[in-house]
Amino acid sequence: MAPDRHRDFWLDLWGMALLLPLLAMPLLFKDPFILSLTYQFAIGVAASLSVYVMLRMGLLSFTVPAFMAVGGYAAAMLAKSGVTEIMALMLASFVLPMIFAVPLGLLVLKLKGLYFIFITFIFNEILQLIIFETPKLTGGSDGVVGVPAATFLGADLGVPWRQVFATVAVCLIASVIAFAASHRYRAEFTSIEENETLAESLGVAVWKYRMIGYIVSAGVAGLAGLALVNMLGTAHPSSFASWSVNNYIAYVFVGGRGTVLGVVVGSYLLIYMTNVFNAYAHLSAGLFGLLLIAVMMAAPGGVVGTAVKLFGGFRADKGDAPRPAPAGGAA
Amino acid sequence: MSILSIESLFVRYGGITALNGVSVEVRQGETVLLIGSNGAGKSSLINAVTGLVSTSGGRILFEGRDLAGIPSAARSRLGIGYSPEGRRVFRSLTVRENVLSSTLGLSRAAAEENFAWACSIFPLLAERAGQPANQLSGGEQQIVALARAVSTLPKLLLLDEPFLGLAPVWIDRISDAIRELQRRGTTILMTEQMARPALKLVDRAYVMRGGEVRRSGDVAEIREEALAEEYL
Repeated sequence: MAPDRHRDFWLDLWGMALLLPLLAMPLLFKDPFILSLTYQFAIGVAASLSVYVMLRMGLLSFTVPAFMAVGGYAAAMLAKSGVTEIMALMLASFVLPMIFAVPLGLLVLKLKGLYFIFITFIFNEILQLIIFETPKLTGGSDGVVGVPAATFLGADLGVPWRQVFATVAVCLIASVIAFAASHRYRAEFTSIEENETLAESLGVAVWKYRMIGYIVSAGVAGLAGLALVNMLGTAHPSSFASWSVNNYIAYVFVGGRGTVLGVVVGSYLLIYMTNVFNAYAHLSAGLFGLLLIAVMMAAPGGVVGTAVKLFGGFRADKGDAPRPAPAGGAA
Repeated sequence: MSILSIESLFVRYGGITALNGVSVEVRQGETVLLIGSNGAGKSSLINAVTGLVSTSGGRILFEGRDLAGIPSAARSRLGIGYSPEGRRVFRSLTVRENVLSSTLGLSRAAAEENFAWACSIFPLLAERAGQPANQLSGGEQQIVALARAVSTLPKLLLLDEPFLGLAPVWIDRISDAIRELQRRGTTILMTEQMARPALKLVDRAYVMRGGEVRRSGDVAEIREEALAEEYL
């Protein structure tokens, strides 16, 4: 199946459009289960898009929980100090992880493959250690508790529906940033993903664009961290555990790593099924694993990637195939 | 005046010596051919100039400046254009994006201007601008790779086996494009195994074997001598 820029752009737009109904959910429903699903969807998508941005360059970053923690803890501490305005919290949660990403990027962005994965995973463990060892700053194993509800232009966002609405709005902004960055740097990211050496030889400053992607990914994850803290009312180390990145990566691969729509569909599907499986408490982890295996075997390109492939083939069968190359070429 | 001067260059891959004290000179405005069979060291030399492989001895001077320590991307910005062996277009990008991928450091207006310049040499680009590169034939992909290399208006163009795997009709078209680049004053260093079409395009040639330059001279000399037996 040939890649198609316009098709991918529209699939990305559809992905963004699928996020919009989440904003309406807290206005339309009072059911706690639906509200819970809504904010889980929003946070899951935002965190997964942080993974997605790096994957656009072929880099599987495990640093997402660490950056979420930086953003989340920054917001919690700021709110505890009396700054509850959501715009200020967003600014802190977005900018601080990006600042952290610069020195970390200097360390890891020259690495590739397994080395990159391993070192970025280690960052999470280091951050957890720092959180536990600095109780005066971060609350240690207790976390930052009793975080005051955020406000928007003075209006209290502590009411449940407003809390969910604000969470979704933060995640939507994070998603728009990830979407915009991945399109602004599409050519650069794609050339690096396809053939980094060739891109370098053509003058593409590979390291620079990797750094840009890493910084954006950190900022997006930071906003997801703020959203999580806003919902839970606490910043706790367990909320940003290293293993949580496995879920975000699974959302991306199950949905399809090539498009924002894939990320959204994967997040919705797996988060919903996790909630369904939770009814079978002792079996839930096993059922989740079986689902992952089943989806990846049936749709190796992810749900959206496989659907596009099937749909594309169907279109081609109907004579809507791309214009064939003229005769005369070889190889 | 020499634009590229390679002096006693050594390239080693582990215990294997790919280039063994090779010296090559390319003067402003001329087209120079490196000819030799597989393993002769042609691509290693080109890759050393682009910075894709490390050298273990010797010097590469570009416009009198030693390229040692200058990263690959920066060499491109110095004015070295590169079209790799086997095309290697970015398959997911469109023709236009592929060509513009080498102009990412330029302003949008400058990139557009350069793209228009490339289109004036390769009309195919304008026709196929929005088409993904993986839908092109081998010959068309070679055109895209060539256009990508020249769209930065390089002072020196490196062509690594531009005829590799192409049908005769595409070899003629690529040859025409190279002639057009020559007419516009582009300095070219190219490698090729297919001596017959390549020798029609160049001013001078170096015959390489086993990582060494065995013979060099004007095309007429090279053609007349033993090379004909081996490569033509």
